Amino acid sequence: MSRRLAPGGTVAFVGLLVLLLALPAVSSSYFVDFVMTRTMMLGLAAATIVFLAKYGGMISLAQLLFFGIAGFMYGNAALESGARGLNLGWDPWVAVVFALGVATAVALLLGAIASRTTGIYFLMLTLVYGVIGFFFFAQVITISGPGGVTSIAPPDLFSEPVRLYYAGVVLSALAYAGFRAIGGTPFGLALQGIRDDPVRMASLGFNVPLHRTLAFTAAAFVAAVAGLLNVWWNGQIDPASVSIGPTLVLLIIAVIGGISYFEGAWLGAFVYLLANNYMRQLPLVDRIGIREDRFNTVIGVLVLVIMVLSPEGLAGIAAKAGGSLRRTGRRSPSGPSAAAGTAGERTEQPDREPARTTGTGEPSPATPTTKGTVE
Amino acid sequence: MTANLTAAAEDPHAPVLRVRSVVMRFGGLLALDGIDLDVVQGERLAILGPNGAGKTTLFNVIAGDLRPTQGSVAIKGVDCTLLPSRHRPRLGVARTYQKARSFPGLTVGDNLYLAVVGKRGRHRSLLRTATDRSWRDRAVEAAEAVWLGRQLDTLVGALSHGQKRQLELGMAVVTDPDVMLLDEPASGLSRGERERLTELLDELAVNATLLLIEHDMDVAFAVARRVVVMFDGTTIASGTPEEVQHNPLVHEIYLGTGAA
Ligand SMILES: Nc1ncnc2c1ncn2[C@@H]1O[C@H](COP(=O)(O)OP(=O)(O)OP(=O)(O)O)[C@@H](O)[C@H]1O
Ligand SMILES: [Mg+2]
Repeated sequence: MSRRLAPGGTVAFVGLLVLLLALPAVSSSYFVDFVMTRTMMLGLAAATIVFLAKYGGMISLAQLLFFGIAGFMYGNAALESGARGLNLGWDPWVAVVFALGVATAVALLLGAIASRTTGIYFLMLTLVYGVIGFFFFAQVITISGPGGVTSIAPPDLFSEPVRLYYAGVVLSALAYAGFRAIGGTPFGLALQGIRDDPVRMASLGFNVPLHRTLAFTAAAFVAAVAGLLNVWWNGQIDPASVSIGPTLVLLIIAVIGGISYFEGAWLGAFVYLLANNYMRQLPLVDRIGIREDRFNTVIGVLVLVIMVLSPEGLAGIAAKAGGSLRRTGRRSPSGPSAAAGTAGERTEQPDREPARTTGTGEPSPATPTTKGTVE
Repeated sequence: MTANLTAAAEDPHAPVLRVRSVVMRFGGLLALDGIDLDVVQGERLAILGPNGAGKTTLFNVIAGDLRPTQGSVAIKGVDCTLLPSRHRPRLGVARTYQKARSFPGLTVGDNLYLAVVGKRGRHRSLLRTATDRSWRDRAVEAAEAVWLGRQLDTLVGALSHGQKRQLELGMAVVTDPDVMLLDEPASGLSRGERERLTELLDELAVNATLLLIEHDMDVAFAVARRVVVMFDGTTIASGTPEEVQHNPLVHEIYLGTGAA
């Protein structure tokens, strides 16, 4: 089990972290702001799907809802006047605590209800949560403002975009290390036992529904943190950003990355955002019919290709490639990549990401005036 | 463990397990039809009976995996009829399943460790402490006791059928139970392994109360001092192995050819 990072994995992890923290010095601010910052926050949210799926066997479609609840709550609490929403005018950090608190409390309630279901029923129930959440925000415009809550400013600490990026990197690193470490604790092992056989776990003495509820709540808390980053980055949030489309996008990110690999969450987000930001600039891409409005079809085909190549997603492909590399006894010159392969069956190749990052070049696009939502 | 014994210790003659008029109905099927059973501290009881007799169903009711349609179950004087299965380990009860139910995605060591955690507590801990180390040591001992000492770090999904059966037993043994319910522990084991299993049960059961479902007569009669025979949801005979072996009814419906 990938209970702990093997020494090689730790080297790769720290190396990647250093590279990511150094990135703003060498890369365009468009790339950092529009690809990497969003990679961090969407990856963080997608990692909560991986956490529940990998350890708990629960595929949750409700993670974007908690992401959205945190955003809406922050917007309502922090804005003073003028803008839409409740305009509570609280201190931004109080608003942060409030937003995380509401999202976590809602998750505790919804998790308690969902904790008695498994498999497809859990999936459907969390989908229902997402749909109810969307309609709640779409209809209760005192909270969501007609057309969304706008002009949301982050706390002063994050007023510069690059600081938001650093926050995303640090929080992602914490979540990644934390999620992996949990796998070896009594709580995490019990969650994996529940994934494999809940009846047996009960007869060993465990409170299965409580365990599931707590895991669901913990995941929602992390998704809410990601949701705060998102609303600070975006400056606004509307009900459409928690609708079914973005909900599925988050699941797709986790799936193309590899739903049983934590690193896959960020890898999936990175690939999704690369495609989202740069595909339209590929030469001749409009000649083969890939226009703006057909972008989602292209993403769909991309998902299909990845799934056919590897049900374990991109991280699965990377792990397999690392495995065969090891078997032929060759070491890649970049070091950490080969070393990461020693961690066991579920190793990651996190250092691939910066390699691509630096190789992507500087597309110098016309900087959009408003930032997009998840979709 | 001593704390768990207090209820029984108050009255040494009170049964550790008392099953009263238990009826279990699955839709139209009457799987248990009024079972009464008393088991005293330290007793070793084998439950025999043909396929579909209701043996596993009786275990499921005692272990709390099923709620009986009627009747009651008391363990160490505590009425457990409606108590969910997760409260059994702290009463000192451990069970195994007829078809091995372990956690294929975890290692042998983690499976055994979870069994210890399940009984002792710290279910939701996010820390690994010194207590864990002693529990881990206990898991290693149990793995060795069921001949899985070298498979500690093997994923259970990769074990052979026989090894899964051994682990199933290990997961009961590792909790140092006072009452053990073993559902056909010898099935799927080789002849040599069965003999060792018999020895192991003899060693283990010195203090523990043992209920054993077993088709293998050699194992059942070697381990048990009392035998209960079930048929069609009822108990048709009860007594020492010799008495049961010579019971004409048992011969007729279980041991085969229509003797008597
Ligand atoms: N959960 C259930 N739902 C419906 N019927 C069940 C259930 N469990 C057991 N039964 C039925 O109850 C009867 C008794 O089954 P049980 O498993 O207790 O038999 P058994 O004595 O353990 O047999 P075996 O020696 O084959 O293990 C069988 O007819 C079985 O099909
Ligand atoms: Mg049976």
